[in-house]
Amino acid sequence: MDSLILEPSLYTVKAVLILDNDGDRLYAKYYDDTYPTVKEQKAFEKNIFNKTHRTDSEIALLEGLTVVYKSNIDLFFYVIGSSHENELMLMAVLNCLFDSLSQMLRKNVERRALLENMEGLFLAVDEIVDGGVILESDPQQVVHRVALRGDDVPLTEQTVTQVLQSAKEQIK
Amino acid sequence: MIKKFDKKDEESGSGSNPFQHLEKSAVLQEARIFNETPINPRRCLHILTKIIYLLNQGEHFGTTEATEAFFAMTRLFQSNDQTLRRMCYLTIKEMANISEDVIIVTSSLTKDMTGKEDVYRGPAIRALCRITDTTMLQAIERYMKQAIVDKVPSVSSSALVSSLHMVKMSYDVVKRWVNEAQEAASSDNIMVQYHALGLLYHLRKNDRLAVSKMLNKFTKSGLKSPFAYCMLIRIASKLLEETEGGHDSPLFDFIESCLRNKNEMVVYEAASAIVHMPTCSARELAPAVSVLQLFCSSPKAALRYAAVRTLNKVAMKHPSAVTACNLDLENLITDSNRSIATLAITTLLKTGSESSVDRLMKQISSFVSEISDEFKVGRANIWCVCVCVCVCVCSGGGGSGHQLPLPEVSQEAQRHDELPVQHAPSDGVFLSSDVSVDHLWLCADRWDNHTASSSMSLRPTLSPSL
Repeated sequence: MDSLILEPSLYTVKAVLILDNDGDRLYAKYYDDTYPTVKEQKAFEKNIFNKTHRTDSEIALLEGLTVVYKSNIDLFFYVIGSSHENELMLMAVLNCLFDSLSQMLRKNVERRALLENMEGLFLAVDEIVDGGVILESDPQQVVHRVALRGDDVPLTEQTVTQVLQSAKEQIK
Repeated sequence: MIKKFDKKDEESGSGSNPFQHLEKSAVLQEARIFNETPINPRRCLHILTKIIYLLNQGEHFGTTEATEAFFAMTRLFQSNDQTLRRMCYLTIKEMANISEDVIIVTSSLTKDMTGKEDVYRGPAIRALCRITDTTMLQAIERYMKQAIVDKVPSVSSSALVSSLHMVKMSYDVVKRWVNEAQEAASSDNIMVQYHALGLLYHLRKNDRLAVSKMLNKFTKSGLKSPFAYCMLIRIASKLLEETEGGHDSPLFDFIESCLRNKNEMVVYEAASAIVHMPTCSARELAPAVSVLQLFCSSPKAALRYAAVRTLNKVAMKHPSAVTACNLDLENLITDSNRSIATLAITTLLKTGSESSVDRLMKQISSFVSEISDEFKVGRANIWCVCVCVCVCVCSGGGGSGHQLPLPEVSQEAQRHDELPVQHAPSDGVFLSSDVSVDHLWLCADRWDNHTASSSMSLRPTLSPSL
């Protein structure tokens, strides 16, 4: 048994991944050199997809790493950490990501809606994990900080004042 | 929001991906509109999104084209569109290593980090620190110190975490901000507490006395953040290990008290820390083990997994400490999560009694027959386990009547040029993860031949199609 005392560190997340129904990468952020090349990364993604997409258990040990995951309709979310990491901490990240996206996509957490909102996804992950450090765990805070504009009101439904205002902003 | 799918995409079915046929050179060509005035935020946002998507997919950008795109992007700072600005920060971070002369955005970022828009300040700090070198860092030092103690949590967190990233590069500069970090640690925000504590530890970790004083202060003052608690537990464990502190130390008491924390994450961290301590008696392990026992029946798979994994580690050194959990472990054999099931079995093999092994074998055989092709890894584990059981039962001997010629089995294994099984005296059985199928047949045959009492044959459960 390794009586390895985990070196105390804020660096807890190795990677955040979102794969589609075919195991293809929709989003991937690796925070350290565990898989330094794109080729190795994609091989890893393929491997974990094969091992996890048919079950709905939330956690597994794969390639010596702890993988927590969640799927919804046609999307698969993964948070990867060292096997020595606190599994519940990794779950906290996964849940924060999923719940934030759920709010931003109005509960429509599926591939199409996600692809229409990629900038929201990029910004959300940026608010949750920074360089491998958990930045925020509260999905409300994340959604607030991402601060995306709501659905744009079509031109014909805006008042004249509103139209002039947006025009002014464009010209500034 | 970027533009919705147009009619064409609708018709091509649900498999359509607006980013699917993106071509890097085309996108970079499009990026030239960044130079136009007035800036069209919607279109520019869409193009930036495509660029970041390409980078994310692993597309390679050459230095020249990256630099050109980067410089074009800097023009977008003229727009006040919030989402566009945020995407610019992101682009800066993504391209920091592939573009040249990224420091030209320093003044824009410095302006944003000290500006009035709170939504910009945190992300601007993080982007700035991504492109800063030691010299520049000194120039923005006072802004960083102000940001660390800022009342807005996102600003403070961003500054603290960025400071941490820069410790490697500029330890001497960041060390000067220790007082600000100390002040930030008394924040009410659970993430700021966590970040401040983390930074303080990284700055002080070579000074054992300072770490000790810090721990003293924080364990008494009662932080709110479960993340901070986990960090404290780890620091305390490390200190205990380094100072070879006895288990009457206040540090140990602190860790033990965390077993009663409201938050499961903290409780688990404490149990795990106690279990991993090199010198722990069964008595000292008991409270940690009982907490893990409770977790075994949690509805959350991650908690069950964490618990059974940790119990497995305890069982290797102190099997007697885990026997109380046997019933809970047996329930986990049929867990839908294969990793949990496998771990439960291997743990039970170390802690189970003779009489329970028969029962265990029955459960294993039904479980094994359910495993389908996908779980090659799981199957290998289960095969290991079956062999393990054979050997275990055999070496148990005594009143069970299952006397297997164990040395023979080991010899056979050696003949097959793999040493998957090593016979060890009592309950120590270890196995490599590659077990030859032949060897398993061998074991199964011997088991069948010798078990008069068992009504169950192993052979059918070991499918040849491994």
